[in-house]
Amino acid sequence: MPDLLPFLISGLGVGAVYALSGVGLVVLYRSSGVLNFAFGALGAVGAYVAWSALDHDWPLALAALAAVTTSVAISLAYGRLIAPHLAEREPTVRSIGTLGLALVVLGFTEWFWGEQPRRLVLPTDSGAVEFADVRLTYTRVLGLAAAVSMMAAVGLLLARTRIGLAMRALADQRGLSAILGIRVLQVDTAAWVISGAFAGVCGLLLANIVRLQATVLTFLVIPAFAAAIIGRLSSLPVTVAAGLAIGMLEAVAVLVPGFSPFRTATPFIIALLAIVLWRDVSRKA
Amino acid sequence: MNITLKRIIAAAALLVAGAAMAQGKPVCGLNNGKAASGEPIALGAVVGKTGPDDFSASALASQAYFKCVNANGGIHGRPVEYTIVDDQWNPEVAAQAAAKLVKDRKVLAMVGSSSFVECGVNAKMYAQEDVMVIAGVGVPRECFFAKNYVPVNAGPRVSGTVVAMYAAQAYKARKMVCVIPNIPSLGNWACDGAKDWGKANGVDVDVIAVDPGSPDATSTMLQAAAKKPDAIILNLPKGIMVPMLAAAEQQGLAKKIHFVSSTPAYNFDVPKTIGAAWNGNFDLHLEFMPVESAGADNLNWKATMEAFGGKSDPRDSFAQGGYLAARMVTEALLKMDPKKIDRAGVSAALRSVKGFKSDILCRPFYVGDGGRHNANSSGPIAQVSGNGFKQVSNGCLMAADPELGDLRAQEKKLGL
Repeated sequence: MPDLLPFLISGLGVGAVYALSGVGLVVLYRSSGVLNFAFGALGAVGAYVAWSALDHDWPLALAALAAVTTSVAISLAYGRLIAPHLAEREPTVRSIGTLGLALVVLGFTEWFWGEQPRRLVLPTDSGAVEFADVRLTYTRVLGLAAAVSMMAAVGLLLARTRIGLAMRALADQRGLSAILGIRVLQVDTAAWVISGAFAGVCGLLLANIVRLQATVLTFLVIPAFAAAIIGRLSSLPVTVAAGLAIGMLEAVAVLVPGFSPFRTATPFIIALLAIVLWRDVSRKA
Repeated sequence: MNITLKRIIAAAALLVAGAAMAQGKPVCGLNNGKAASGEPIALGAVVGKTGPDDFSASALASQAYFKCVNANGGIHGRPVEYTIVDDQWNPEVAAQAAAKLVKDRKVLAMVGSSSFVECGVNAKMYAQEDVMVIAGVGVPRECFFAKNYVPVNAGPRVSGTVVAMYAAQAYKARKMVCVIPNIPSLGNWACDGAKDWGKANGVDVDVIAVDPGSPDATSTMLQAAAKKPDAIILNLPKGIMVPMLAAAEQQGLAKKIHFVSSTPAYNFDVPKTIGAAWNGNFDLHLEFMPVESAGADNLNWKATMEAFGGKSDPRDSFAQGGYLAARMVTEALLKMDPKKIDRAGVSAALRSVKGFKSDILCRPFYVGDGGRHNANSSGPIAQVSGNGFKQVSNGCLMAADPELGDLRAQEKKLGL
């Protein structure tokens, strides 16, 4: 029996960012009823902006700010200009609309930055905590901390604040909420800005932990979806736990002979299982 | 001391000669300065331009060489009409592209092709139509196991084998791990050369096939390190190799294990991207001599690109392959009677290519009429040095891969 512990720890870093992405997906879903397929692409374009800024010797804080601003701006533009046209349609149509955005953003990123290999290095990479002979870089620790704290912050926002209440109302009954005097545009803006900011931060972390490659980052939305689905698109703590579990299982899958060369399938399998076992999960919950 | 001095003098002499050539005009074809105007000779290439990576550099270099030939007397007065088609990394498009060139345009040969998907799809058709393909770069196994497909490069299997041999020689590595992406028709084949060589030479080589889409390079590196190897061979496209090296660096493996790579690491963005931890600490095999080497033919390639290539056409090892393919075909065509140039004649002329010399290659190249082709099976070793590379091997290393046995026998028969 090979030692699992190093792989569990190695998977924790990626899992943390899956968890954070999952929270970003759930927050938009709960506030606007849209499952954002473009989440990964928005993160990717932000990460590339950060790379270019760092390449031009910008300070890190400014580069990171530029990255998050880019993701927020695109997210907001879509949320204000295109999403409202789909607002009256069923949730599937609203969500598939974001797939279009994902492909446009991905296409632009690939065209603009090309296939040249790049690496996004953060100062937090140089230090690390060591567990079981595995070095968990501070970037990964940061990802973990962000996942947990954002889970708490978003939970509070949705449950305890006025805008959170308005968001939830809007997701359930958009027309009725408007009649009741909820400022639809303001709430929409908040939801897409928050989601875009999550995408930007996740993109930066993933570009560092995983790799700076547009396609890979765009489709990392899949494991985040798997996490969000396990959280039934509503529970933030379950989403975070699921994200971490997916990251760790994918890492441990390296040790499974025969399956290891196909281990990217892990999140799909988990998501499928979650859907199949949905009823059981609901009953237990 | 004496030998070093001699080498320096020799290098200086080459440099002077090279500089003179580089400033001069490129030498190609009949080299008579007259534009060709007769009946065109149709040649073609299939390249994977749009898709995961741009593989068109090879055909662009062939195109530059043919332009030079056409401006210098052509093939005894007949210009080359060269058509490049993009297969978009799509097997179906690749089949259509080749059919268009071979069946509609009736090309006499394919030159400078470089595609990840076309060998598997088109090799049979090329054999049926008896069209020879002198390809610039071939990657998957099918490119090296076809009667009519002749890649000028060495391929990932030879590359992985040679770099493993170097690791054993330079670092006394006795245990290695070879990392390969799980891609159909590349998969284990590309690492098995090192493995089979190892078996025959008392070196233990383990193969790890990785999911190319996996976001988690750290676990792969931990898995490789858990086998306690002296060296890790990366036989990966650069997009996957860079995160593997980053993960290895973060896990502190860069100082404990020797990392070596096959040719894809030979890209001028790589040293800067992977960073200082790998400076002088990452060796790779080159399928051709370094692009900045001072050999006369290498300088002629550069001069051809300057005079006849596009400004943005890459000057990389793919382009070296395309240049060699075009030069080889041009020289074969020039030996034919210009009035009797047909497909069967061209294929026969190309099969009889033997002892084609260039300082871009380690050894003279041959085609022959064997059932498969891998004439380029050696190469030098370079090391990441600052923001570039420096050659570290003394000359070229030849792959001692048992799978090349049939070709070695053929070489003996041809008297090479």
